[in-house]
Amino acid sequence: MNAKAVNTARSAAPVVTQKDKDAAKQCLILADKFLKESSFAEARGEVAKAQKLDPTNPYAYAFLDRISYFEEQKKKEVPKEPPAPQKIEAPVSPSPYVIEAPKVEPRAPQVSPPLKNPEPKAETIPPKPTPPQVKKEPTPPPVEKKPESPPPPKPVTPPVSVPKPPAHPPPPIDHTSSGEIRRPKAEDVVESSRSVIADVLASRTKPPAQANPPGIADMLQGLSQSVQHHTSNAPRGGDVDTKLDEMKRQIEMLTNALEQERKVREEMNQQQLKGVISQVRSGLEKAWANGAPKNEEIEKLHDRAVGLGIPEDVINTLNREVKLDMYSKAVKEVVSKQNLLRNSSRTLEWLRKVYQVSLDEYLEYESKFLMDLVADQYKGTILLVSGDEKSSKQVSQRLKSMGYAVVNATSPENALEKIEKINPHFILCEMEFSQGYLSGIKFLHVLRANSKFNYIPFILMCLPNEVSQLSSDLRPTEGYIQKPFEMEGLNGIMNEKLMAFRQYLSSL
Amino acid sequence: MSKIVLLAEDDEDNRDLVQFVLVRSKMDIELIVAENGKQAIEMAKAKMPNLILMDMQMPVMDGWTAVPLLKADAATQGIPVIAFTAQAKPEDRARTHEIGCVEHYTKPMDPEELLALIQKYLKL
Repeated sequence: MNAKAVNTARSAAPVVTQKDKDAAKQCLILADKFLKESSFAEARGEVAKAQKLDPTNPYAYAFLDRISYFEEQKKKEVPKEPPAPQKIEAPVSPSPYVIEAPKVEPRAPQVSPPLKNPEPKAETIPPKPTPPQVKKEPTPPPVEKKPESPPPPKPVTPPVSVPKPPAHPPPPIDHTSSGEIRRPKAEDVVESSRSVIADVLASRTKPPAQANPPGIADMLQGLSQSVQHHTSNAPRGGDVDTKLDEMKRQIEMLTNALEQERKVREEMNQQQLKGVISQVRSGLEKAWANGAPKNEEIEKLHDRAVGLGIPEDVINTLNREVKLDMYSKAVKEVVSKQNLLRNSSRTLEWLRKVYQVSLDEYLEYESKFLMDLVADQYKGTILLVSGDEKSSKQVSQRLKSMGYAVVNATSPENALEKIEKINPHFILCEMEFSQGYLSGIKFLHVLRANSKFNYIPFILMCLPNEVSQLSSDLRPTEGYIQKPFEMEGLNGIMNEKLMAFRQYLSSL
Repeated sequence: MSKIVLLAEDDEDNRDLVQFVLVRSKMDIELIVAENGKQAIEMAKAKMPNLILMDMQMPVMDGWTAVPLLKADAATQGIPVIAFTAQAKPEDRARTHEIGCVEHYTKPMDPEELLALIQKYLKL
């Protein structure tokens, strides 16, 4: 094996100049030194340099893993001193392999055994010393530790089991074929799992700040730990593929959990935004209640909204909505008092100025305003039955201005045709119609016989001499008014009949 | 300091409407309200408004009685009074001027017109 290793190493050598290789070795030796001093950043720097100088040096990877391992070890404050043991062993192990021993040894002694390990990497054997040392310590920690720890041990184990990728420069010789095939897989997965874990850890640190549900964070932590656990165990366990599948599954779970947490966070943010928006809206409503506020006030409100983190376009939309809402309210108020105003269209025009509603805005919302007005004023539908076109037109106009919808019928017969369709709330009917038609009284009797319409408030419009014709048995929802009449009088009787109708309804 | 306008008007809807218009004018005006001529005189003495809008037809004491009383009182005679009335005949107009009103404004009102008139007498 040794011999083979050396050979492969040598054959690879030609690609990189000997000078660079040597320089890389020097870097690794320095890295080793830093490592022993626990100067991990510097050690990594040296390894990086070495990798740059001699990318073919297989020890660089192993070295990085070692650094991570020791760093981890250090963090856990395990009293054991990894470097020391190495030193001792290193010198021993190198010798057995020694192919390039001559070169390495001279240096090694100077710096210390560990150095040797790195140097050799480039060419081959010397590295082994590192693995052996690691073996001892790693064995116990690997289980608890993260992926980093395994690499170092790997070198040692390689001969036995295949998995370890980067660390084994020497073993590769034999395992090349099998090792290479598996390595990429394992490395990829480990690498991807690391990034996922990093994400998880990063997201865990952020969310808490935003008061995220702790449950998910805990779950993520557990998962990430288990994934790490698996990655570190995988190499040793024989069944690598199964472990990889397991890891993939866990990674998927983690990703889903992350996604879910992100959604929860988004939802919370949205709710928060909603609250803030309604806060800003009520401020705006106050400011706009009596017309356009002063510019300074608009600016102040705008700044406040910006300060609360509301996006600019949302602020503008809010402002516009509130303005039109307030304008719309004012319009309704004016319309409800239009009898006190000389000219409602001029008044509405004045309001448009007061609320700084542009003509475009007005036109855009015109139908909305009108609908609101209609809905506000609508009191119900009246069926007006009269053969006298002129008086019918007058009365229906007045009724409309009072907020009723009016359907005109020219005779009781005509009214019976329409009544099914319109379901009126009120019927106003003339007493007499021209020859051939039902009279108002007869019409009333027809309706009384119809269970669907027999209690609709009904008012007969009659001349004084017709009053006597009215049978005294008018029901509470039925009544009459003498012509000519004022709208006030009609309104009074209508209200009276509506009251009676309500009483009738509540008696049902 | 905001100017004070006294509105003597028995109809609630009309009072609301004047208030509605004044508030939206954004003029610095405080509106105080009386429901009849008697109240109007008391309030005029107590608050010394800068302008009085007087409905001429009111219960208890109408404007025709109240305005001459205001004009007869040294404390209130300087306050301009605008007759705010539904009576639009020329002789009514002449009569309101006779008793000391500076203007005769005929209801129903027009917001911009009314505001212009108020502005004129408040010198805003």
